[in-house]
Amino acid sequence: MTKQELRPDQEPVVQPPAEQAKEVKKEPTVAEEVKDAYRKLEKARNILHTAGDIEVGQTPQEVLEETRAYRLLHYQQMVAKTAKTPILVVYALINRSYVLDLQSDKSWVRSLLSQGFDVYLIDWKPPTAADKYVSFDDYVNCYVDDCVNTVLKKTKTDKLTLHGYCMGATMSTMYTTLHQEKVRNLAVIAPVVDTEKDTTVIGNLAKNMDVNKMVNIIGNLPAEQLYACYSALKPFKQGVNKYFNLVQNIDNDQFVGNFLRIEKWLYDTPPIAGETFRQWVADIYQKNLFVKNELKLGSELIDLSRIKVPLLNIVANEDHLVSPQCSAPLNDVVSSTDKRLMRFHTGHVGLIASLYSQNNVLPKVGQWLKARSQ
Amino acid sequence: MAENTKDLQGFTQEQMNKMFSFWTDVMKLPTIGPIYAFSKDVTSYANDFVSLGKVMAELKSSMDSYWLLVSTAYTRAIKETMERAPKQLTSKDDLESYRRAAIEAFEDAFTGLFASPEFSAVYGKLFSSQLDVSKAIQGIAEKNFKALNLPTRSEVDEILKDVAELKRSVRDLKRSLETKYDQARAST
Repeated sequence: MTKQELRPDQEPVVQPPAEQAKEVKKEPTVAEEVKDAYRKLEKARNILHTAGDIEVGQTPQEVLEETRAYRLLHYQQMVAKTAKTPILVVYALINRSYVLDLQSDKSWVRSLLSQGFDVYLIDWKPPTAADKYVSFDDYVNCYVDDCVNTVLKKTKTDKLTLHGYCMGATMSTMYTTLHQEKVRNLAVIAPVVDTEKDTTVIGNLAKNMDVNKMVNIIGNLPAEQLYACYSALKPFKQGVNKYFNLVQNIDNDQFVGNFLRIEKWLYDTPPIAGETFRQWVADIYQKNLFVKNELKLGSELIDLSRIKVPLLNIVANEDHLVSPQCSAPLNDVVSSTDKRLMRFHTGHVGLIASLYSQNNVLPKVGQWLKARSQ
Repeated sequence: MAENTKDLQGFTQEQMNKMFSFWTDVMKLPTIGPIYAFSKDVTSYANDFVSLGKVMAELKSSMDSYWLLVSTAYTRAIKETMERAPKQLTSKDDLESYRRAAIEAFEDAFTGLFASPEFSAVYGKLFSSQLDVSKAIQGIAEKNFKALNLPTRSEVDEILKDVAELKRSVRDLKRSLETKYDQARAST
């Protein structure tokens, strides 16, 4: 992962003002430098132990509905509502949804609220061993559909904007092919679509994974297996270098806070329901059935050409988890006449949780949505 | 000497006969229960352990292939670091340059490795071998569960599958009832 992708929160090391630099500073001795380096290492070690305690997802919200599988969150309005169509955010089944509301100045959700949208979010709960046979059919036709119905009922509207991220974007697309009558707009961020064109390490590892055997023997995909995949993504530029940066900036509270929030999210990895993971790897990554319109949810075929609603497809040029070549073909296979592909020079996480995203991505996304939400 | 050996043989034979008849009697005693089940399955257990040994040998072979690729990438990264990094480390800047060169070299070597088709195949085989070991251990555990008259993992799996299918059926029935209800309400 590039620094921009996984460390969207990181700021450059604060340099002293020129006036201070002019002051005659005594060069530290080697012994002093070693002592200081040791102090920083010790401080970093202690701080890393507290990563789990840092607060995330602080935008005010209420739990509208809660089941064994999910919590449906409704965020409190921050300004007067200017868009009539509510937005339902469908988060991925990988890691936790608070990455969309990591901290106030880099929150995807907060930005949408400040632009006058009514925002709902599906916060998936970790599956248990009893959920081994829960499939995409259940996620899409049951859980997402239930959430859509709840939001429509609460807002007294007949259609909403479905807004998915990563795996959630693929699920939102699946849902739209089957229940288009409830969807006004489909806005997806980094969807997995054409996996034959995927150039990522994840796609490479998925190609030879005996996922049927895994599900039969283990059941749900264990978090450890996901960590193993993550550790293969930019292992040194990210995996090692980020800790050097932390030690260097350990006295910068803002930097440390940003670092810990991302670190908490990275290691907050629930398992993935076995049957869902089997479909994800075998049907979507290995056989590429989704873009070929051959994927089945239960008895229903997912035919992307059925999609006629306005489509916004947001991709990141430096995405190393879902390559833009994998996401972009969605615009070629749907039947929508109003469709747009937005490309940004950032990475998978930088696209949603960074200052770059706040300044460059969200204003354009908001503008597109607002024009279609009246 | 020969007489002593004969005595010893006779003694051994006699002892062995006693020992076997003792165990034969013990095995005859309980016709139900865990001891009987264990004794009945002894050959099967032996086969299971032989199979476990075999899959562990395969895992070792897969691990060797995996580590060979990793160590080759590591050697390449070290070589690249030596070429890219400053030759003399005399200042703080030199150390910083060395760190950057090492990170770049290791990143190139390992990302190249992880993105290669060869690594994908070897990793897939290693993952599969690990699963085979888990399967062999589960097979042995299942026998113990059966012997203790406890539900096995396979049996619980069947129940979970049935529950998942039942939930889907209930969902579909509920939806179709709702649709019919809405249609009826609309027509009245």
